[in-house]
Amino acid sequence: MTTAQLSSPTTGPAKHPLHPAHTPTGQLAFGVFFQGVNSSTIWRLPESGDQVAFESFETLARTAERGRFAAFFLGEGLRLREHRGVPFELDVAGRPDAQTLLAALAGVTEHIGLVATQNTTYNDPVDLARRLQTLDLLSGGRAGWNVVTTDNAWTGENFRRGGYLDHADRYVHAEAFVQVAEQYWRGAPIAHDGAHYSVRAQGELPRSAQGRPVLFQAGASPAGQDFAARTADVIFSPHGTLEAASEFRRAIVERTVAAGRDPGSVKILPGAEIILAATEAEAEEKVRWVRDLQIGPEQAIALLEQYWGRDLSAFDPDGPLPDVPPEVSESGVTRGAGFQFAKAEELTRSWREEAAAKGLSILEFARAKSGARRGEFTGSYDAVADRLAEFARMGAIDGLNITPWLVPSGIDDIVDHLVPRLQERGVYPAEYAGSTLRENLGLPPV
Amino acid sequence: MTAPAPRPAPAAETAPTATTAPAETGGAPDGAGPEAGPPVLAVDLVTAPSLLEGLAELARGLESAGAGALTLSDGGLHPIHLAAHLAPLTEQIALLPRTDALYVEPFHLATQLMSLDHLSDGRAGWLLQAETDPAVPAAVGREVLGLEASAREAADVLGAVRAVWDSWAPDAVVRDTERGVYVDASRLQYADVEAETFAVRGPAITPRSPQGLLPVLVADTDRAAAGERVAGELADARALDVDVSVGARPERIAAQIAAAGPVGLVRLVGLDLEADPLGTVAQLVGALRGRGLIAEAPSHGSTLRTRLGLPAAPFQPDPARRADRARLSREEAA
Repeated sequence: MTTAQLSSPTTGPAKHPLHPAHTPTGQLAFGVFFQGVNSSTIWRLPESGDQVAFESFETLARTAERGRFAAFFLGEGLRLREHRGVPFELDVAGRPDAQTLLAALAGVTEHIGLVATQNTTYNDPVDLARRLQTLDLLSGGRAGWNVVTTDNAWTGENFRRGGYLDHADRYVHAEAFVQVAEQYWRGAPIAHDGAHYSVRAQGELPRSAQGRPVLFQAGASPAGQDFAARTADVIFSPHGTLEAASEFRRAIVERTVAAGRDPGSVKILPGAEIILAATEAEAEEKVRWVRDLQIGPEQAIALLEQYWGRDLSAFDPDGPLPDVPPEVSESGVTRGAGFQFAKAEELTRSWREEAAAKGLSILEFARAKSGARRGEFTGSYDAVADRLAEFARMGAIDGLNITPWLVPSGIDDIVDHLVPRLQERGVYPAEYAGSTLRENLGLPPV
Repeated sequence: MTAPAPRPAPAAETAPTATTAPAETGGAPDGAGPEAGPPVLAVDLVTAPSLLEGLAELARGLESAGAGALTLSDGGLHPIHLAAHLAPLTEQIALLPRTDALYVEPFHLATQLMSLDHLSDGRAGWLLQAETDPAVPAAVGREVLGLEASAREAADVLGAVRAVWDSWAPDAVVRDTERGVYVDASRLQYADVEAETFAVRGPAITPRSPQGLLPVLVADTDRAAAGERVAGELADARALDVDVSVGARPERIAAQIAAAGPVGLVRLVGLDLEADPLGTVAQLVGALRGRGLIAEAPSHGSTLRTRLGLPAAPFQPDPARRADRARLSREEAA
């Protein structure tokens, strides 16, 4: 962990000069990210709630509102993840349709933004734009759309169009898709003839209180960053250290200015997991406990099997990494975007070397490599508040998109202990700034 | 209706064989099984943006006035999302979006509708519509289908949607902390639908919804475009359309119901929301219920299937579509 370095008072603007065009607001906004699948959410605890019941979503959203969170996000996957050709059994699986659920949440919440992750490859732009605008109108201007792309034929097997898109094409297509949606929201006549299909339509719904849904985008690749700088209101970034976040801010401000936009018109909210306790020592203990529950021996073996492409159940999770070669040259596409396209032979060799050098067992290595390993925002209430205040002061980020490790009570301690400390430090809102998501994120009007 | 051949009674009595094609499951000819009581009274709301103001109050008022169901007809706002919005704001009333089967992705449609069933604790249904407005296919870059093709497509989509709904056993989420298993893949199955114009693989990304298979009805208005196969054979019931924009006299409506034959839903269309909609509905409910022409107010927690007299929809496992078949074949090979 780099926590000591991050909380050091010598870390400051001089060491991380950000872009001259960008003026930090010094304020943070929080979102809660209900991913709904994978190992980030612990399901083994008795206090872990139903992952599908509306009560779970409602409880979490209401808690977030109590903590003045700007947004409630839902993830999306359009095919059940598989492991060696069988639906993956060890992690949370199965969730409701994001927008259908958010339409219901719109009626039982008052302030919080409602953001649906929705794919541009397997949706029709006018249909999706209409659904998003329905949500925006139902919620009084609180809708957001997390624009994601996919290009794998495996997911495409569930859809009419199939996996028709080349990897190189996906942002080209996504940008055209967003343009069609924006025309729809403006009520403009649409006559789009693209490489993949043609659209004739006209938006017919009234403007929402915030003009149109807020656009979120998550691409970290250069193509993804360019797309985000041209089109997004908010970027999810995977950068949890102050240094990496500052680098990312510089890159995004540069691209935003190059795209002819005001540098303050694109907000950055890294995804984060927050694990808190009263003292640093207790927090460290809690992090270990959370990791143990997130990644058990079964998940550790399964994680390696993704890359080895073969049955590794004979290997001891407490022993060294398997000394057998992988059976596939490219790892599967079925565990999710983060696991795709790695060359299995190179990767497994480098992993064996890395684990041996660090003296890590399969289990320890899997915990270090798994998706929920971000540990930058763990610690005592006060230390994490100090660290986040530094992020805000620097202008490295505009907030965090927090994945709770427990549903539905996983943000209770954040709301009860961290939020008040951030408010005392003047970096977090005491009240909602307005009635729309756009206002609560500090975005300029459209 | 003339049944082409004797069919086994639906679901409860006869478990369909493993080879039953997805399109054949779940339907009940003309909907009215022997246990079917009087139809459920539904009020149709058109999803125009002007409806938004006071929507929750209106829905709760109609529920109190004794309406058994709301149908949401497309007037701009997405009918499924409007139904979902009303789910936590109401308690008893059934929610049926009247929405298109043709120019949508069947997988999305299935997921949205089963999510509505989760949100409403089993109060959801689908009023299947086969779109005839050419603006709808143009918006998704497709050609408008002729009547014959649209009827075929509607049947294929209905079969696909049901196959997706039926892809998780009710007990597939096992949460076995001892073995570290959250979901049991042997209790999931692929949809494996290969229709003429599309294919859907499955399984659903959503666990089985409370009703398993949502009741699918076709309104009289949509009967021609949906086709006789869907409206008469595959749907669970018929929705009788009663136009109340020309006046809501109980005698006239009673005569219509009596003349209609077996229907699952009596759907009041064209209710004047400017006048006294709650009073009108309360008066009609009183008069029709007094004559035994519409169902009693639903008991708390009953599903729409129950209210329509439909048998419970058991999970129908098909060994050929088992989601863990890859594991089984590995074990055989070993």
